[in-house]
Amino acid sequence: MTPSGRRYGRFPVRVSIDHNACTGHGRCYTLAPDVFESDDSGYGQVRVAEVPPELEDQARAAVRNCPERAISIDER
Amino acid sequence: MQQACDGASGMSGVDDPATGGDVAALPEADVMDVLVDLTEPQPRYLDLIKAGGFLQPMDGLALSADRETTEHILRHHELFSSRVDLNLGNVRPLIPLNVDPPLHSKYRKLLDPLFAPKRMDEQEADITRRVNALIDGFVDRGECNFTDEFADLFPTSVFLGLMGLPEEELPMFLRLRDGILHPEQHDPNAWLDPDARASVMARTGQEIYDYFGALIDERAAHPAGDVISGFLEAEIDGDKLTREDILDICFLFLIAGLDTVSDSLTCFYAFLATHPEHRRMIVEDPSCIPNAVEELLRWESPVPSGVPRVATQDSTLPNGQTVKQGTAVMIIYGAANVDPAECPDSFDVRFDRDTNRHLAFGGGVHRCLGSHLARRELRITLREWHRRIPDYWIKPGHEELQYPPGLRHVKDLTLAWR
Repeated sequence: MTPSGRRYGRFPVRVSIDHNACTGHGRCYTLAPDVFESDDSGYGQVRVAEVPPELEDQARAAVRNCPERAISIDER
Repeated sequence: MQQACDGASGMSGVDDPATGGDVAALPEADVMDVLVDLTEPQPRYLDLIKAGGFLQPMDGLALSADRETTEHILRHHELFSSRVDLNLGNVRPLIPLNVDPPLHSKYRKLLDPLFAPKRMDEQEADITRRVNALIDGFVDRGECNFTDEFADLFPTSVFLGLMGLPEEELPMFLRLRDGILHPEQHDPNAWLDPDARASVMARTGQEIYDYFGALIDERAAHPAGDVISGFLEAEIDGDKLTREDILDICFLFLIAGLDTVSDSLTCFYAFLATHPEHRRMIVEDPSCIPNAVEELLRWESPVPSGVPRVATQDSTLPNGQTVKQGTAVMIIYGAANVDPAECPDSFDVRFDRDTNRHLAFGGGVHRCLGSHLARRELRITLREWHRRIPDYWIKPGHEELQYPPGLRHVKDLTLAWR
């Protein structure tokens, strides 16, 4: 593990949206467009569930910025 | 009244002895004042949070100011219903604002696609054109009344375009909006006399129902492929929308669509015109604009308190306080947006935040239907304006900014760049 506690290059992290909590603010697909996308109604959808290291920053930004805390990362 | 250059940075409300002492009992007048004086509400929002966050200044009325309580209320619509009488000249609940799940979700399923980001992508060129057309009207003059010559006109024209409503009728729509949201503009007595106010709003409300009623009848006879024609075709669970359903959606659209972005723009530009460093950041790095929009939404919270909820039963909040059935709860989004528990440096306006989960568009299932459109308009305005008018300030002599009651907006914001 790096000092920040993140693991680079060894395991992908798994990201998911709690669709009961998602109300379509759209912060995830705005801040992490390579990881999330908008459906036709403006609600979030996961594009890449197993997030490679180069997209980890995007995924974590989405977790931090969701007003409903609907996004979570499962550290493996 | 706010003086120009009274910057947001340098506020130290958290350590201010005037507010850091025993705030267990804020005088009722102070609590209610935060709803009325919108000039620079952030320090008072912090007072509410430090006084416990959930305040009940009188029987049957509560204010939710801290983030945790507010999130709880927004999430638990079964405990805190939106079926309240807004007294905005409407004679039936507004749709979907005053509807609870499960029916609420069905209306949103129908309406959300109209305002989805992909649809807004299609509007980008048109929105850009409209911004520039308005700027063309005053750029060479070296000054403008930003409120009247830009903020009031731009979002309204975008909205009318989206709805398929005639742009020539823009002055009429503004007049209808004012009859509901600024009735004193129709009748000066409405400032202080509640009956005069109610009278203007009731009259205007009827005009709104009449206007859209005639439009619905016209589209029923001659479908036009526009939003209202779409409503006439739509089905929820196999049932068509009733004529009254469509009227109640249109009423909401008119009052929600014509004011909010206008107000946001005046608040944004009042801030930017008095904060040269922030302006410079936008000019030097336009890629910060999306973050700047989110941060200005957080700080300014143009819709300070949104729609009240009503407690459907006795319940307990996360902080241990109890709420009695029947209590009307006002959610102060602006307060949640400066809660230090959520955002420790909440009184700094920073365009480089890596975390900004603000609730300026509300939260929970009633999250603002128009939020994607609003963001697009705000971003495009900042982009195009700063490309053409990179430096500007409050015109000398106009530094005293007035934020009348209602949503937060600046009356007659006068900018100069020469």
